[in-house]
Amino acid sequence: MVEYNKVTDEVVKKLVAICGEKYVTDSEPLRYSYMARGIMGLEAVLPEVVIRPANTEEVRKILMVANDNLSPVTPAAGGLSGGFALPAIEPGGILMDMTRMNKMEVDTENRVMIVEPGVRCGDAWRIFKKKWPEWAPPIPDGAPPGATILGDAIERGFSLVTGRYGPQADMIMGLEIVLPSGEMFRTGSWALDGAKAFYRWGVGPNPDGLFLGSQGSMGIITKAAVKIVPHPHFKTIVAYGGDSWEHIIEPAWAIGKYEMGISDNTVMVQGGNWPLVMTRWPKSNVPLDYKFYEKIGIDEYWMNSEVWAHSQEELDFTLKRIDEIYKDYEVKKKTVCKQQQLHPKQIASRLKKPNLIAVPYGLYEAGFLFITWYCPWLESSKMMEEYCAAMENYGFPPTMWVASIDHARQAIVMPILCFDSSKPGIYDKIREFNIETTKSFLKQGWINYRPDPFVHAPLTFSKSKDYYRMLVKFRKVLDPNLILHPGRLAIPWASVTDSPSPLEGE
Amino acid sequence: MTSLEELRKINARCIHCRACQYAYSNEPDREGADEEYTGMMLSCPGGNFYGWEGYFNSGRMWMARAFLEGDLKPSQEMLEVVEACTTCGLCAEQCTNYIDTVDIIEELRAAIIESGVEPLKRHKMIGDRVLEEDKRNPYNDPRSDRTAWHDGSVDDKNMKVAYYVGCTGAYRQQGVAKHTASILKKLGVDYTVLTEEVCCGSPILRTGQKDIFKKVMNENLEMFKDFDLLVFSCAGCFRTFKVDYPKQSGKPLPFKVAHTLDIAYDLITEGKLKIEKPYNKKVTWHDPCHTIRHIGLAIEKEILEKSDNWLLDSRKAAKAKEAWYERPREVIRAIPGMDFREMYRIKGNSFCCGAGGGVKTQFPDMANDTARERIKEAAATGAEVLLTSCPFCITNFNDAVKSLKKEEEETGKDLSAVGSKLEIVELLELMDQLLD
Repeated sequence: MVEYNKVTDEVVKKLVAICGEKYVTDSEPLRYSYMARGIMGLEAVLPEVVIRPANTEEVRKILMVANDNLSPVTPAAGGLSGGFALPAIEPGGILMDMTRMNKMEVDTENRVMIVEPGVRCGDAWRIFKKKWPEWAPPIPDGAPPGATILGDAIERGFSLVTGRYGPQADMIMGLEIVLPSGEMFRTGSWALDGAKAFYRWGVGPNPDGLFLGSQGSMGIITKAAVKIVPHPHFKTIVAYGGDSWEHIIEPAWAIGKYEMGISDNTVMVQGGNWPLVMTRWPKSNVPLDYKFYEKIGIDEYWMNSEVWAHSQEELDFTLKRIDEIYKDYEVKKKTVCKQQQLHPKQIASRLKKPNLIAVPYGLYEAGFLFITWYCPWLESSKMMEEYCAAMENYGFPPTMWVASIDHARQAIVMPILCFDSSKPGIYDKIREFNIETTKSFLKQGWINYRPDPFVHAPLTFSKSKDYYRMLVKFRKVLDPNLILHPGRLAIPWASVTDSPSPLEGE
Repeated sequence: MTSLEELRKINARCIHCRACQYAYSNEPDREGADEEYTGMMLSCPGGNFYGWEGYFNSGRMWMARAFLEGDLKPSQEMLEVVEACTTCGLCAEQCTNYIDTVDIIEELRAAIIESGVEPLKRHKMIGDRVLEEDKRNPYNDPRSDRTAWHDGSVDDKNMKVAYYVGCTGAYRQQGVAKHTASILKKLGVDYTVLTEEVCCGSPILRTGQKDIFKKVMNENLEMFKDFDLLVFSCAGCFRTFKVDYPKQSGKPLPFKVAHTLDIAYDLITEGKLKIEKPYNKKVTWHDPCHTIRHIGLAIEKEILEKSDNWLLDSRKAAKAKEAWYERPREVIRAIPGMDFREMYRIKGNSFCCGAGGGVKTQFPDMANDTARERIKEAAATGAEVLLTSCPFCITNFNDAVKSLKKEEEETGKDLSAVGSKLEIVELLELMDQLLD
C-alpha cells in the first residue's frame, strides 16, 4: 500500500512561492466548489489544496514539490463533458486547475493546432469562427462550451469528425509532458528541437499512447498538437428510424464499410432510442408512454448521419447514396427504416457545436451518469439490448445513445443512467448495476471507455493481467511514487479494491 | 420556494457542465462584429473577476450541495465567496436543467447567516439601517426626508395608484423620482406617495438577511394593500415586489405592480402614446438584470410550473420570456431620431453592470471591473449614450466612466474606445424630456 502525505502548511508555502498567493488556495469552500459527482463518474474526494499554474514551468515545479512530499496530484481544466478529473482516493492532495493555461496556436498550412489544457471549446469555436472560418477546431461533439479540447483529446473522446477519423486521440500529433521528477519531453516530430508537430510517430518509437486515456495518471500534459480539418459549408443531417437496435446499426455499417467516398463524408453517425427524448425533461412533467412520442414523430430507434461536403453536388450525391443503402437494406431485411422529415430547425440544432445536448438529463430526476463502452460496431445491438434490459430491471429508464467510431468499425455505447440522487441507497444500486453489466460485457470482450476506478478498472484488469503488469511497470518508470491521480486505472490496486491483485505473488 | 432545503432537488440537477459561465452558451454560431464579441463569451462577473471555480455559479452550486449534505460547514470564509456574486442570473438563463441559480445563491447566503455567521460588514450595516426607526433605508438618511423631493400628493389613501419610490429614488437619485412623477402626470396617472414607505428589502434579501427582509416586506404589504396599482421607477424594488414578495410571503400580491416603462410600453403599443420630440444621438441599451432577465425567467417559470408537459410547453415559455425582453426595445424604438445600436450581449444574455446582489456595497473592485467591461462593450457599438433604467446600473456605470476618466488623466491615454466618453442616461429621465 502506498502511503501518501498530507499537504502541510510548509508545502502550501512552497506552492505559493511557485505560483503566487493569488493562485493557491486551501480555502474549504473553494475546494468544495471543484466537486462533481455524476455525468462521467461518481467518485470524488475533496482536494487539500487547489493551485492554478500559468505555464509549463510552474507545473514542473509543482510536481517536484508534490513528489518530494508524496502528495497526490490531480490535473483538471474544463473536465470532460462536465465531470472533473477529481481525486479518487484519500488524501485528496493537490488539484491542479489548469484553466489559466489557455493559449492556442493554429497552423493552417500544416493543419494542426497547439493547445494548452485550459483552452475551452466555446472559446476555440468563437476564435475559429472569426479567424479561421474554413477550419474546424478539434472540439468534442456533444460537449458543453466549458469542456476543454485537451481534456477530450487525452481521454480519447469524440471529435466533430469521429465517424470519419476515429476518436480525438487519433488526431493527436504530439504531446508536451511533464513528469513528477520535473523532467519534461515532447513526443512525435515535436521531440526534435525546433521541429513542428507534423509527424506523430516522430523520432520514434512514439510513447504518446501511454498518456492518452491515462486520466492524468502517467504524466501531466501541458500542450498537445491536434489535427484540424476543413470546415466545409455544405452540411446536413439525415436520420432514419427503425424498429430495433439491429435495424439502425446494420444500415449504418453498410455505409461505413465503404471507408472512402460517402463513408468519409459521413463524419458523425449517432443514434438512440425514444427514452433519449423523454429523459431530457422532468419525470413529473413529461409523458412517460411511447404513444405520445410516436404521435409527435419520434421513432423507437433512430440513427443520425451528419454529412459534410465541399459542394452541394457532393452533398446531394452522398445523401442519395445513403438513401439507396437504406432502401436496399429495407428490401433485404424486410423491414422499414423510414427517413425522418427533419425541420430545418432540427437540422440546425443537431449541427450546432459545441452544444448542451448532454446536459438536460439532470432534469429527469436530478441525477445522471454516462457509462460508456466500446465494442465492434455490429455487436453493439446486442450490447444495447442487454443494457436496456438491465436498466429496466434495476428501475432505470432505458435511455441509450450510440455512435460510430471510424467508419462504423467500433461503437461507443452509452447508457444514460437517470436516477434520483436524493434517494437513499441509490449509489449502491448504481454500483450493483455497474458490476453486473461490467462482468457480463467483459466476458463478451467489450471494453469500458473511461474506466471507473472502483468498478470497471479492477474488473477489467483482473481479466487482462499481463497488460496490467506492464502498465504498472510503465507507470513506475514515469511516476515512481505513484503521486499522479492515484486510484485511476486501479493504480495502486489496493486503493480501490479488496479483490486479489493481478500482481499478487510478484 | 423559500429555503435552501426546498431547493435541494433543483440544486441536485447541476452536473457541473459549466455552460453557466458563458453568455450564449447554446448559440455557438451567433454572429458578432469581431473575435471578442462572437459566439459564446465567458460572462460571469464573479468568476471572471476572481477566476476560482467557487466564484462561478457552477462552483457555487456544488458548494450549496456540500452545505446541504453537511459536508461544508458555514463560515465567514464561505459567506465571503458566496456573497461575491451580483445574482445577475446570467447562469440561470443558460441552464438547460432550469436550475434557479439566483434563488439557490440567495438562499445559501440566508442559510449561512441563519446558522449564526454574521453578515458581511457592509451588508450588516445596511441591514441595521433599514431596521432603525428613524431611517428605514440603507443610506443612513433620515426617514423624515423620504418624500422631501416630492411636491405632489402625499399619503392620499383615496388614490388608487401609489408610486413606490424606493430608497435610491428618495435619497440618492431624486432626479429619477422627479422625472417619474412627471411622466406619470403626463400619462394621466393620478398617484400618491407614502411618507411611511420603508425599504423594499431588495439589498437585504440579496445579501441573505431574511429576517429583516420579511419585516420590511410585511410592512410594505400592509401599508400598500388597499391600492389597486403600485408603480415603480427602481428596477430592484420592482423585481422585489413582483417576484420576491409573493415567493417569500407565500401569497399573491394584493395589488398590481408595474414599472413606469411598462405603462409607457402599453400606451405606445396601444397607439395611445406617441413621442414626437427627436433624440438625435447614437444610443445603446443595457438590460437591467432585475427588470429584464429576472422577470423574464419568472415568466418562463410560471408557465412551466403550470405545465404537465415541458417538452411541448418549454417553447411557449421561452417565447413569453423573449417577448418580455423585447419590451424596453419597443419603447426605445418609439423615440424618433435615435440611432439605436444593440450591444453584443443583450436580453437574457446581457452582461451585468456589476452592482447587484450586494456587490457594489461589499466588493467595489469587482463592481468597478464588471462595469468597465460592460462600458467597453457599449463603446464598441460606437454609441455616445448608454441608456438603461436602474438606479444601481446608472450609479455603477457612472463610477466606471469616472474611473476611466481618472485613468486617462493619470496615464495620458485616450480611453474613449473603452467608454470614457460615454454618457450614461436613465431612460425614464429621457422619456420625461421627450414627452410633452
